[in-house]
Amino acid sequence: MGLLAIGTPLDWPSAKKVASHVREWGIEQLLAIWRRAKGKERDALLWGDEIEYIVVALDDQQRLVKLSLRQADILHALAEDEELIKQGGGVPDLNGEKAPTNKKRAPTFHPEFGRFMLEATPGQPWGIDFKDLLDVEQDMKWRRKIAKEHMEANEYPITLTTFPLLGDRKSLVPYYPPHGERLRSQFVPDEIANPHIRFPTLAANIRSRRGRKVELNVPVFHDTKTPWPFKDPTVDYDLHEFPEDADVRNGAAKDNCVYMDAMAFGMGSCCLQITFQAKNIDEGRKMYDQLSPLGPILLALTAATPIYKGFLVDTDVRWNQVSGAVDCRTREELGEVPLKHDRWRIPKSRYASNSTYISQDSRLRPEYLDPDLVVDEDLKAKLVEGGMDDLLATHFAHLFIRDPLVVFEEDLKELDLTKTDHFENLQSTNWQHMRFKPPPPGNDTGWRVEVRPMEIQITDFENAAFSIFVVLITRAILSFNLNFYIPIPRTTENMETAHKRDAVLNEKFYFRRNPVMRPSASPQSGRNTPEPRHDRPSRPGTPLGPVEDEYELMTVDEIINGKAGGFPGLIPLVESYLDSLNVDVETRCELAQYLALIKGRANGRLWTAAKWIRHFVREHKDYKMDSVVSDGLAYDLVKAAERITNQEGRDGFAKEMLGDVRDES
Amino acid sequence: MKLILSTGNIMEGGSSIRRDPTQKSNAELVASFRNNFAAHSLQTDGMVNGNGTAKTHRSNYKTWTHMADDGRMELEVPKLSFDRSGLQEEREQYDITLKLFYLSGAPIEKRAVQTREAVNLVLKELHMPSLNLLIISFPGIYFDEEEDCPDKISTRGPVEAEPEPLESQIETWKVLEQLHKEGIVRKLGIAEFGHDRLQTFLEKTTLRPSVDQINLRDCCSVPKSLLKLAKSQHVELLVHNDCSNVLPRGTVRELLGPGPDGAGVLAETTKPEEKQKTLHGEAHAPEEGLKGEVQPLWVVKYTAVVKNRGVVEDKGYFAVAELTE
Repeated sequence: MGLLAIGTPLDWPSAKKVASHVREWGIEQLLAIWRRAKGKERDALLWGDEIEYIVVALDDQQRLVKLSLRQADILHALAEDEELIKQGGGVPDLNGEKAPTNKKRAPTFHPEFGRFMLEATPGQPWGIDFKDLLDVEQDMKWRRKIAKEHMEANEYPITLTTFPLLGDRKSLVPYYPPHGERLRSQFVPDEIANPHIRFPTLAANIRSRRGRKVELNVPVFHDTKTPWPFKDPTVDYDLHEFPEDADVRNGAAKDNCVYMDAMAFGMGSCCLQITFQAKNIDEGRKMYDQLSPLGPILLALTAATPIYKGFLVDTDVRWNQVSGAVDCRTREELGEVPLKHDRWRIPKSRYASNSTYISQDSRLRPEYLDPDLVVDEDLKAKLVEGGMDDLLATHFAHLFIRDPLVVFEEDLKELDLTKTDHFENLQSTNWQHMRFKPPPPGNDTGWRVEVRPMEIQITDFENAAFSIFVVLITRAILSFNLNFYIPIPRTTENMETAHKRDAVLNEKFYFRRNPVMRPSASPQSGRNTPEPRHDRPSRPGTPLGPVEDEYELMTVDEIINGKAGGFPGLIPLVESYLDSLNVDVETRCELAQYLALIKGRANGRLWTAAKWIRHFVREHKDYKMDSVVSDGLAYDLVKAAERITNQEGRDGFAKEMLGDVRDES
Repeated sequence: MKLILSTGNIMEGGSSIRRDPTQKSNAELVASFRNNFAAHSLQTDGMVNGNGTAKTHRSNYKTWTHMADDGRMELEVPKLSFDRSGLQEEREQYDITLKLFYLSGAPIEKRAVQTREAVNLVLKELHMPSLNLLIISFPGIYFDEEEDCPDKISTRGPVEAEPEPLESQIETWKVLEQLHKEGIVRKLGIAEFGHDRLQTFLEKTTLRPSVDQINLRDCCSVPKSLLKLAKSQHVELLVHNDCSNVLPRGTVRELLGPGPDGAGVLAETTKPEEKQKTLHGEAHAPEEGLKGEVQPLWVVKYTAVVKNRGVVEDKGYFAVAELTE
């Protein structure tokens, strides 16, 4: 998201009036991109990871931890680091892009929604050369080191998904009182968000469009001494400044839940995202589809979010909180009142699991598609008229059912078809778990797919492991032409399942039984078939069985490590892929460490961060078995995270989570 | 008569996917041949039975194999057709690796011919003029790791041969050097060489191997002496998961024989007790398979990987055996 563009943002009532205008221009821009780039071919695999940090300030004397709101200062310090810029690093939003003077580009840093957050990416994209894969972890460590060097001595970039005390009305430095005009949150100040005009506008317009504040209710973890029914004791029912202050008096805070009321509670979560460049548009569409069913599995495997606003909660992941934090749907769209003014009921938030398959793949059966998909038929017709095929047109016409949230007045004067601002306005505020990204104008970047469900991990070893695992999965998918299709509603259900406490151990997920094409008994299907290697049409005369027979409920262990006589397992698939390549001894052993972590997480031998943190809290001397994570406990937890980041279990601490994998190196 | 067995591209059918970590690793090879033979020989009958599965029967091998027309005694199982296979991109996009297994019991003096034959088959299959890497695997050599690795033992396959003398290996190497000189192969490699053997080999060859491929699986215990030698001599140590004895005795017969899993190319070897049965008047289907003794000569495994995308586009095997009456 480029931040340099500054203009006059429209408030919601004005933005709403020009929404159709922005959408129509967005569609025109999309068609221009599509015409320009649909024939783009033979792009290399390039990929990148994004690591998000929370910046905390520690007070060792008083054993206190606070969120540091100094993002802007830190970014400026990074942007002014001559040495870093000479190496191609820095802050592109402030420095602009500069060519590096030496070979290996230094990492770059980016602002994020939360004013306490920082995002870092490698200075240049990774390739598939195995030497590159082994550089990933070192680069992540380098990023963390650089970030730390540009902070105060008592500040640390940590990779917990959420700050355990966010919303406690006090743990911020510098301190700002909650309850500002933009967010109207009773827990966090407006200053919690990045001050760039885009972010407060986004938050305000979501609230405004919705007609009330966002509403997050996370089930509290019911411990032995948790008061029951649990009524969030931090909720203030006596505020009377803004109309939204009445939300809680109207039942916004639910029993037995931790209640939160601002975008920062969701968009302030850190995640691990990976973007892949595809060979061409077809490969991009295929990867988008095939990775989609893996989303909930990756979410469950990386679970790291058991605390909100100073309470242990009964869920393990951030996803639904982010979803709720940017849910701009009106009561009509939510189906709470009959449709009168709005165009349709919308089943999902703009931040949700994805709802489309887009690959022109003969294996994509119509039964897999989402029967509840909402599509703007007029915009779809325009895309089809412009030459786009039905599937892809449906995808974008689905994303374009949303309103643009941040519109700058200056951008509405003239339609510039060489730009993509209006298209990106909608595209980049549809935060689905997979994102299909067209080539940007002005450079040689190709069609890309972004994998978004994973939670950030405490150590860079883990973050590298999950990144590389996903990269290898994509290569296995393309090499073996794997088929993971299941009906989209099953993936939506899986996403919910992934939230449950210890879902990785106890829950079952819908997953396709057989990912490979069956060797067929027809003589036409042997090696010498005239059809192209991929996407051969389904053979006539072989009637497909019921869709329900193609998938079943599996544990994460079965999906990752395989099931005797059934699904081969994602790790064995990756290993089979590696068996087909020339890999040197050193690389294979490094990769084996990463794969061992994933295997261990899936079979329960190694704990997720969610389980480890929950355990840490419950074993802590200050914990009173009442779900409350006190200030001192939060301080110790953050200190523990910092220790784990540095030691990676080598000192025996957090072995439950990391195992012995690191001992051998 | 010579039998040329082929798998075609095995990437999509799933036969190159490890189903069970403890399985013998020539399972890929066996399953690939079996699948390809089945795909060519099994006919689906029109009717689908109550379970939704179609009934199949095996057609006579003569309908799906091919005997060379020019009088050479070569039977392709199944019939080869090079006009449709091949890779999608330009030569430079690919990393093409070929691993040639010389089998025990095959005549060593014929290796020059066999090596060319194997290389040519693969180049024809891939529609490419040259290879990046040719690795040769001699029979009877097993790489020994320093530590015991229980996983590994199962991947060796039965020990059926003693390693041949180094002299004959060096003799064979000259064939490869020639292919390199002709520009057909860019890099050469050997497999399973431990420190001592590699050292001697390096001393006695002019064009030295750039690769030593060892069976390591997940046990990362390479002897330090080998690591050091490889590093100092710029020999890359690569990992593989193939059986050293890739085609144990009887495998070809099992694959081609008349049994339930066989392709029906070879006839039953007549055993005394079966004669007995026939004497007692039991009905016996007329033998239609080929008769004789089978001697496997070599196996070649090939992979073509799109370099800058890491996608394995083609992978397969050829095996050649001699059938003597």
